[in-house]
Amino acid sequence: MLWLIKFAMRTMMPRSAELPGIEDCDLDGFLRRMRRDSDGLYWLGLVVGALVFAITPILTVYLPLPAFLLPKKLLQRHAEKIAVTNLYLLRNAVFLVRLSAGMCWGADPAVRAKFAMKPYAPDPGTFRTT
Amino acid sequence: MTHVAFTPRGEDVELEADWIVVGSGAGGATAAVTLARGGERVALVEAGPYRDPGDYPSSVYGAMRDMLDAWGSNFTRGRAYWPIVQGALVGGTTVINSAIAVRTPADIFEQWEREHGVGGAAMAERVARAQDVIEQELCVEEVPVDARGRSNLLAKQAADKLGFDNHYMLRYIKGCLGHGQCLQGCREDRKQSLNRNYVPETLAKGGQLLSCAPVERVLLNGTRAVGVEGRFKHPQTRDKGARFTVRAKKGVVVAASVTRSALLLQKSGVRSRALGKNFRAHPGTPVLGVYDDPVDMNTGATQGWASTAFRSEPGFKLETLSLPLDMLAGRLSGTGAQLMDRLTEFRHIAMWVQACRAESVGEIRSTLSGRPAVHYTASRADMARFRDAMHLVARMHVAAGARAILPSVYGMPYRLAPNEIDRIKDAPLDPRAYVAILSHLFGGCVMGADPARSVTDEQGRVHGYQGLVVADASVIPTNLGVNPQHTIMALARSFAENLLQ
Repeated sequence: MLWLIKFAMRTMMPRSAELPGIEDCDLDGFLRRMRRDSDGLYWLGLVVGALVFAITPILTVYLPLPAFLLPKKLLQRHAEKIAVTNLYLLRNAVFLVRLSAGMCWGADPAVRAKFAMKPYAPDPGTFRTT
Repeated sequence: MTHVAFTPRGEDVELEADWIVVGSGAGGATAAVTLARGGERVALVEAGPYRDPGDYPSSVYGAMRDMLDAWGSNFTRGRAYWPIVQGALVGGTTVINSAIAVRTPADIFEQWEREHGVGGAAMAERVARAQDVIEQELCVEEVPVDARGRSNLLAKQAADKLGFDNHYMLRYIKGCLGHGQCLQGCREDRKQSLNRNYVPETLAKGGQLLSCAPVERVLLNGTRAVGVEGRFKHPQTRDKGARFTVRAKKGVVVAASVTRSALLLQKSGVRSRALGKNFRAHPGTPVLGVYDDPVDMNTGATQGWASTAFRSEPGFKLETLSLPLDMLAGRLSGTGAQLMDRLTEFRHIAMWVQACRAESVGEIRSTLSGRPAVHYTASRADMARFRDAMHLVARMHVAAGARAILPSVYGMPYRLAPNEIDRIKDAPLDPRAYVAILSHLFGGCVMGADPARSVTDEQGRVHGYQGLVVADASVIPTNLGVNPQHTIMALARSFAENLLQ
């Protein structure tokens, strides 16, 4: 499942001429943390979103293939079309994957530097016990 | 001063107090400090952990993990699935909101009196008196000049040009530095969230705090509330800890939030046909403008400008809202190369939002797992209001010199040229076309004179029960059309003062 989520996120936020892609960020570490930290419902939504992304090329580019077997150009078309599909549930499932990818990408120091923003301080995750 | 945080399984924790306050957000913390100042021994019981500014996260990921209820995964069930944003830590949503202080509009008390038999001039006076004090205590001030940031300045310029009433916000923030981090909690400790003032004051006055302590039920002896019980839950591992029981000599004040208070009362065996009913909200949607020069919307106050000129008619409020890059990156539409191309404009984007004074009414129910399920669908009339408001925001962007408008509506082009914004007038009225957020919530335990249609009376006392009071936004029976924190705190203070008499 982790592989499917990573595949969907990499397709959604690829490296461009001007910006680093999510593959340039610590995606593995991010997903490990998210798996460990997240609310079960949130993680389930993410898994469902990645699955939807993988199995819906039949609806977008009309090919009975999973997304990870599509040639690059068709994969790109699939990614663009599934994000704006008129099937609301599918659109929302994919939205959650993109939202999570954005959290990883937008917090990356190299990405933030591109926008003249300081790197984030670490999230301590601590709380008061006394 | 006593603070009991997560306690592992083992010996049960048992405490006693005069009053128990369930929830430490705007309503709970205010009620608790008012009771403590009156000499009562208060036990404040909060489901989330106690975090100081040094514990606050920087990133959106950290905020979702450490500060939001259920990772922000609560959403409306209805025609559309819209997220419901609530804080889940000591201080509640006051830690993660923009600390906007707006006095309760006078017409609200007239409306409550007319429609629910509560309110009127007497309540208006009590609330105004409480708001005077709260403004002093929480250092309410206008966004300082140096902290306004370009997004807020552009919004002001645009509204002035279009000629409607508008202002820089009044907020519970002392000496804002404009770091644009309100939504992740103010690490500079300028925001006067209630974990920084009313909660510590309650403890200093002899109160007790149980954090990481979700209350499972209010204990009733017949129709008298005599305590609460629950089980500690670790905020990171989600492991269950020891059981806790707190006995109340005088009573229990429930302020567990709009989505939780009604369910808690239901689970505790409180009988009222109005429980969970009359849920209302201000659904909000953004319209983005792209400018020639960088806006850098994360520099300056997260929310620094507003207009309530359209609150009564047609019924919406306008505000600036700066989303961090790690939130906006997923929020812009598009994927792949297209999305990356759109993201190159991030520094040039200003985001302004409309919060609709929606008339739609929903209901809060419990899921099988005990989580709140908010059943809510915005009506066509509300969606028409949405559309009007979004068109006005687009006009503001044009007036401020935006080179393009991003309406964020499904079925519309991603980008509109300034001369194309009238296309928003034809945007669909289906809620599914919008990614709205519900941030201001009301109802579920509404106050009213008729026990058949309301849960509490005008002092927050649950009809037919003794020593059981609700003191959060769930008692508010209508939409306000303005940010509710000031009203919630004033009502809670006034309810608590009544308990002291």
